Amino acid sequence: MVLTPGDTGSFDAHHPPRRDLLDDCVHCGFCLPTCPTYLVDGEEMDSPRGRIYLMDLAQRGEIPLDRTMAGHIDSCLGCLACVTACPSGVQYDLLLEATRPQLERHVPRTRLDRLVRKAIFAVFPYPARMRAAAALGVLYRRLGLRWLTHRLGIMNRMPAQLRAAEDLLPPVPVRSLFRRLDRGAAAVGERRLRVAMLEGCAQRVLFGDVNAATMRVLAAEGCEVVVPQGQQCCGALNLHAGLEDDAAARARKLIDTFEQANADAVVVNVAGCGSSMKEYGLLLRDDPAYAERAARFAASVRDVNELLAELEPRAPRHLIAAKVAYHDACHLANAQRIRRQPRDLLRSVPGVELTDIPEADICCGSAGIYNLVQPGTAEELGRRKAANIESTTPDVIATANAGCLLQVRRFLSADIPLVHPIEILDASIRGVPLEKARR
Amino acid sequence: MSTVTTYRPSTLADLRDAMAESARAGERLAVAGAGTAVEWGGAPEHDAVLDTTAMSGLISYNPTDMTVAVQAGMPLRSLQETLAGNAQWVALDPALAAAGATVGGLVATADAGPVRHTFGASRDSVIGVTVVLADATVARSGGHVIKNVAGYDLAKLFHGSLGTLGVLAEVVLRLHPRPSATATLAVPCHAAAAFDLGGRLIHGSLEPVAVEWCGRVLLARFDGTAGGVEDRGRRAMALAGDGAEWLPGDDERAAAHWAAVADLVRGAEGDTVVRLGTAPDRTPSLAALVAREAAAHDVDAAMTSSPFAGAHTVRLRGGTASQHAAVVTALRAAAPAATVCRWTPGLRDQLPAWGEPPPAVAVLRAVKRAFDPNDRLGKGRFAPWF
Amino acid sequence: MSWSAELVEALGRENVITDPARLRTYECDGLTGYRVQPAMVVLPRSAGEVAAAVRVCARHGVPFVARGAGTGLSGGALPVADGIVISLQRLRRIMEVDPVNLRAVVEPGVTNLDISKAAAPYGLYYAPDPSSQQVCTIGGNVAENSGGAHCLKYGFTVNHVLAAEVVLADGTVTRLGGESPQLPGYDLLGAFIGSEGTLGIVTQVTVRLLAKPAAIRTMVADFATVAGAGDAVTGIIAAGIVPAAVEMLDNLAIQAVAASTESVYTPDTAAALVVELDGPPDDVAEQFDEVQEICRRNGSTKIMVAADAEHRALIWRGRKAAFAAVGRISPNYFVQDGVVPRGRLAEVLGRIAAMADDAGIRVANVFHAGDGNLHPLVLYSEGEGQHDRAEHLSTQIAELCVELGGSLSGEHGIGADKACSMPRMFGQDDLATMLRLRSAFDPDGLCNPGKVFPTPRLCGERPGPYRPHPLEEAGVIERL
Repeated sequence: MVLTPGDTGSFDAHHPPRRDLLDDCVHCGFCLPTCPTYLVDGEEMDSPRGRIYLMDLAQRGEIPLDRTMAGHIDSCLGCLACVTACPSGVQYDLLLEATRPQLERHVPRTRLDRLVRKAIFAVFPYPARMRAAAALGVLYRRLGLRWLTHRLGIMNRMPAQLRAAEDLLPPVPVRSLFRRLDRGAAAVGERRLRVAMLEGCAQRVLFGDVNAATMRVLAAEGCEVVVPQGQQCCGALNLHAGLEDDAAARARKLIDTFEQANADAVVVNVAGCGSSMKEYGLLLRDDPAYAERAARFAASVRDVNELLAELEPRAPRHLIAAKVAYHDACHLANAQRIRRQPRDLLRSVPGVELTDIPEADICCGSAGIYNLVQPGTAEELGRRKAANIESTTPDVIATANAGCLLQVRRFLSADIPLVHPIEILDASIRGVPLEKARR
Repeated sequence: MSTVTTYRPSTLADLRDAMAESARAGERLAVAGAGTAVEWGGAPEHDAVLDTTAMSGLISYNPTDMTVAVQAGMPLRSLQETLAGNAQWVALDPALAAAGATVGGLVATADAGPVRHTFGASRDSVIGVTVVLADATVARSGGHVIKNVAGYDLAKLFHGSLGTLGVLAEVVLRLHPRPSATATLAVPCHAAAAFDLGGRLIHGSLEPVAVEWCGRVLLARFDGTAGGVEDRGRRAMALAGDGAEWLPGDDERAAAHWAAVADLVRGAEGDTVVRLGTAPDRTPSLAALVAREAAAHDVDAAMTSSPFAGAHTVRLRGGTASQHAAVVTALRAAAPAATVCRWTPGLRDQLPAWGEPPPAVAVLRAVKRAFDPNDRLGKGRFAPWF
Repeated sequence: MSWSAELVEALGRENVITDPARLRTYECDGLTGYRVQPAMVVLPRSAGEVAAAVRVCARHGVPFVARGAGTGLSGGALPVADGIVISLQRLRRIMEVDPVNLRAVVEPGVTNLDISKAAAPYGLYYAPDPSSQQVCTIGGNVAENSGGAHCLKYGFTVNHVLAAEVVLADGTVTRLGGESPQLPGYDLLGAFIGSEGTLGIVTQVTVRLLAKPAAIRTMVADFATVAGAGDAVTGIIAAGIVPAAVEMLDNLAIQAVAASTESVYTPDTAAALVVELDGPPDDVAEQFDEVQEICRRNGSTKIMVAADAEHRALIWRGRKAAFAAVGRISPNYFVQDGVVPRGRLAEVLGRIAAMADDAGIRVANVFHAGDGNLHPLVLYSEGEGQHDRAEHLSTQIAELCVELGGSLSGEHGIGADKACSMPRMFGQDDLATMLRLRSAFDPDGLCNPGKVFPTPRLCGERPGPYRPHPLEEAGVIERL
């Protein structure tokens, strides 16, 4: 069929997937084996190639934007392993981010789906609510309610989404939930950089230890660390779910907050947050007041692994004798192309034996809120990942993303400590055993 | 005594005409090359013989392309002599070549020798064929290039067809360079030890071109550059341990070992020779079975195996036809994929030509019907299967 | 009950696709120029379910097309409008790796590369390595008799498959081949492999595994002219060396690879030859020196030797992604696949260049030089209305290969794409004889119809006028 320029087919005119980006796909299929959903069900529509095909048909107006199409776009984890694998350079990330808001606008969700999403977006981006929810979760366990609901079979009658949420709760001690991070830290020795640190929402509640370790390591390596106060959610969850406007609003606020810190770099220890913050330029491209600032901000964002790899190690490392399985977080490895740096950092620790995991490029099924909204697929992927990790018989598992930490922990059968790589580095620099460093 | 007509065409056109004439006459036809495999399987009922030995010309040979096209009646032995001038060969060393077996005959019998370990059987060297069907249709498949997936590969279908689908008229083969050096490792040992050592040579990436266990000796041939073969010799000898001998290419003893393999496979007047296929790791148990059954039935049995290609030949000598029949029956029970290639006199009366049919026998029958609906060619060769 | 209801009943609703939008994602494979929406897609989970689906089709006369990863480049998995697609993507188990017998048993949906990965702990691998090996499945490889860069030394799928369980067109399940390659009877397995899905559906494959070579050495030799590189290939073969692979890329192809990341190729060289030798270390070392000498003697301007396994992987990654990478330098392109006798490489490349000039179309060349298998990539822009000219040029190139004594296809297959060119390579009797084989397996023609063989509907009512086969003119073959 002949397309007239500017024709957007079934999409509306607000940033539909671009025709030239769709045309980049030559249908070679090299993405298929890297796609977690394709791995699970083997259906063409649940592969990157199939999803692009659907976008292409919709862009030509040959299929409508409906629940069928939305289902296949929703099922995408956004892990972007396909982008890494694509020999033709298809920018699937851009296509996906262009398509999701269109579907949000045009395809009404089912009631349950709306409810779950609403609950997620009402809790996760707000540390206080998150803390309350997590505390409830702790109480729920402590009071034996968990045992009771399972015993009574109540849990089995709950929607799968709720069961997933219940399972994901990490065994967090209450005092850790209410611990606050210091407002900053001075550089040890001569100052090399001034960095502004993102606390994260779920991160600060569930992984306060990781934040503390991050701050200590940065300081030890000569970074002055500031934690801009009043910082809120970066909007990554919204962005990945196609809630473009919400994401943009959050981005603007975060930029406002961080600009005041006057730092050389913005440092992030959650892969999902970092990858979104690096896209602020694109997200706010149409906002004259923010476009330029957003681009500048995005350019200053560094994952903590990335930043440390750029600095010549200064703090002495002490021995940590452990076989470490490193799990690539998709938002680090694929979205930010950071694979080597965390491995190099871990190798810089004497005694660490680093092992790679079979099927390393396959997502663990966490993917932002994916494990809450698509629990079936997420569970299958989680089991697969956990089995692959355990096949390497590691002493410790390291991964640089909160979502992966939660997801993988849920499916491990053996009691293997799961940490952020920065925690290993922290323990090594402080010269304390890893278990002790984490308390 | 015999009143059979013999056709002896020398060109493709002659061959087609002969087929047309015999079709008109409604004759049942036996196809023969040098006659070295005339006894394989069932004995065909026939009114006439189609002899391909006059079709023995070289059609084209371009050494740069490493392919050669020949008329199917050309003896492999003479083809190899021609190719040797350019340090090339067809990677095929069947025992019957020395007896004058033709290229077409070797394809029709799916024959091979010890280098099947690396290069497979004749099917793996054939890249194109021209065949003449029972109704005188002339058909080609494949071509003159090594790599080619256009159309069905009729050469595969004719591989092992024993003259029952049509007559191979022309064959195009891929060639390999002759190695600059060769040597043989000879290790006297029983079958289990041979299988074990062979496995270690393979898993050790020493790349033997042939591994054969014959007459209680493991033979492994190594082809390559002079330095490479020497180096592998050292390592192979270290793996083989006591009693092993390293015999460089021109060593008479090496030649004698390999000649013994071919001798066994060919057999002699009065012998029964059976080809068998099994999974590699069944080689030792098959060897034990052969020894046991031979002893039980008072027959002299010898066996040669390409263990890792799962190809074995058993030769029975001495004893009566019924003693041979008992041993063959036992072998068929253990390895149904068996072909009797030489029948001691009287054995045919005691045994069906073939044992248990393969699972796809219905497809074999359908193919036979599609190519030779009147069952004119090699009728009874595959009886009782079809 | 209608056939579609029977299929739903036989396989379960969750294994059947009937929604039009979903069906459309199955309308083409790796060759997007041909698109047909199937009536239904089924995704069986076992050989039994494949057989059940085929039995329903057989009963109702519904044509069916098996599909693996859908990476084929000849439209071999192109659906039939009133028929079903049987996707084998849920048959992905590796049943067994048997290091003692040097074989593995796998389901058809297992990717080519995953077999080697499963065999790796035993020091073994599966030799055929089509460029799409990380995606393409063994079932598709069996259908297409896939080759790959290393088939020069190691041969094709047909040389590495020992047995297959297949579902025949009437829905019966049988076994071709066996535990040993030495079997009595016609080599049905050999005929089945490469039949492009027209003789049945493979549901289990037993493949041969090889021990990994002790040494692998790889080099990239640059040449100032394509002809120089071609002469070097001839020289290597004439020296009696059988490299594991000899691949050539011309400048346009190198530019495409360079546009993707991490290219190790010299951007401005006219041609690059990738030569890989493998085998026992001393043999390889000796011949590797000799190959370098031959390249230099034929005017190589630069030789880069892969320093380690990682470097070698980069060289191969560039080469294997070359087709798809061309998407970076051209909006649209056709991948052609023809074969010429090795001795005529230089000639065919010259003629392709002249034809491309005449048509005003760019042609990039990536190919398996060692076995004369060309992959001209015909670059064009749909937007600029070059489609028809490019398609014509692409077809002309394939037919030129036949004219020079070669073949229409070295590895991508005939499929839907080249069926109409088959009469250029084969006569009526040749094709009719092949169809006898087809009728023995599939008398009703339900199994992947419309592929391999020309049909009036596909190629026009009147077949082209008879033209003597070029080999016939050259006196190499005679047509009677």
